[in-house]
Amino acid sequence: MATAPNPEAGQARSWRQNRKLDQWIAFWSVPFFFTLFGLVFVPLSWMMPPRSPSSTTPLIVDFMRSHNLLVACVILTLAFGLAPVSYSCYLIQIRRMSVSPAFRYSMMIGAITGAIVGMLFPMFCFGLGAFRPGYSPAVLTMLYDFGYLAFIGSLGCFCVMWMAFGLAILLDQNNILPKWLGYYTVWQYVTELMAAPVWIAKSGPFAWNGLLTFWFAMTLYVSWQFIVYLCIYRAIKNQPEAELDNARPELQPAALDNGSRMGA
Amino acid sequence: MTDVTEDFTTGVGNSRPDADTRGHVPGDSSMWFFVVGDLIIFGVYFVVYMYFRGQNHELFLHSQARLSLDVGAVNTVMLLSSSLFVALGTVAARAGNSAEALRRFWTALAFGAAFPLLKMFEWIPEISAGLTPGTNLFFMFYYVMTGMHLCHVALGLVIMCFVIRNLKTSQPPKISFVETGATYWHMVDVLWLVLFALLYLMR
Repeated sequence: MATAPNPEAGQARSWRQNRKLDQWIAFWSVPFFFTLFGLVFVPLSWMMPPRSPSSTTPLIVDFMRSHNLLVACVILTLAFGLAPVSYSCYLIQIRRMSVSPAFRYSMMIGAITGAIVGMLFPMFCFGLGAFRPGYSPAVLTMLYDFGYLAFIGSLGCFCVMWMAFGLAILLDQNNILPKWLGYYTVWQYVTELMAAPVWIAKSGPFAWNGLLTFWFAMTLYVSWQFIVYLCIYRAIKNQPEAELDNARPELQPAALDNGSRMGA
Repeated sequence: MTDVTEDFTTGVGNSRPDADTRGHVPGDSSMWFFVVGDLIIFGVYFVVYMYFRGQNHELFLHSQARLSLDVGAVNTVMLLSSSLFVALGTVAARAGNSAEALRRFWTALAFGAAFPLLKMFEWIPEISAGLTPGTNLFFMFYYVMTGMHLCHVALGLVIMCFVIRNLKTSQPPKISFVETGATYWHMVDVLWLVLFALLYLMR
């Protein structure tokens, strides 16, 4: 691996001159984004774990009128811009793979449609109840259903995106990411399809707060996501500097040529 | 369940005279990662199904009686025959007999392709009789689990086409790729055997 920058050069250069700075910012926005997500979803608003689809109307009205829920929705809507930033660390690595750009475009569009339906829609629904007190319980119940169905039922939107990611890893001949991650991604996205029954079941293991559609799918997703980030971290670290998009010709040492490209 | 798959594929390997493949994992080791992961996922589904079946025993038994056991049994035979030909095809490919391997994989593909067709003959009458995933919990499990399995069958058929292309075009064929495809197909087969037992047969 002639690819990792040598430590002396790293120390001599300030972090602002690190040529992978863009990728590292995109990368570290992810833990920030997910921590924020976790804090806002669980202790601030108790939006997650999902409430039951068969809750009684007074419980739904109580939840929908909570001010913390409005605050949570505002924070998440403001932080929404971080989603594209965090996705760019995948896209940069996919660009290095020997696959058609169609994979990158599908992933980009899949990520954006998924984030709009799965994140912005629920935020608008959940924020309305506290914004203007006085909506009728029937309206609030509809918004509650809309919000949770968009949040959990949209897992299918991410399916195409992760399918493109998994196939790109498997077809890539530059070995940017390990092949087993490709297979792992394939079964991860197939299990996301299990969210489909939330449109039918209102209680039991297939409801939107059910054992299989939420808890099991979420456990699989979180552990997979964590491992993907570890692999992306290694891929960024091992990427030869000469191969970077922002590499300036005069700064390239002659040694960093095709040889180290192959070694990456 | 993993053991069953493993026995199935390595058992074929051991039946041939020279033993240089003995002790090696057939196919791409990444595929084994996939197989084990997939078996764990289906395993969780089976356990959850058994739990809810225990809770609603009467309902499950009653609903189960409405499934078409005949189509299920024929489909089991189709998949088992297909798996047998995949195993025989792998033996032929290992022995360097590409032509014979190709014939066997085509037969396996034909048996495998019959599975989704028969599934339609099972699902369409059921759905038109009003037995949909919304009917009750049993039918939800039935459609989700057999549906997920059908996705695996579809993927397996695509992989099998790539194996056939590999046998046709590359000389000598890439044995490791043939084995990878065979491993996946045997997993699909094992999953169906458990599904068939759980959904159709268990009383």
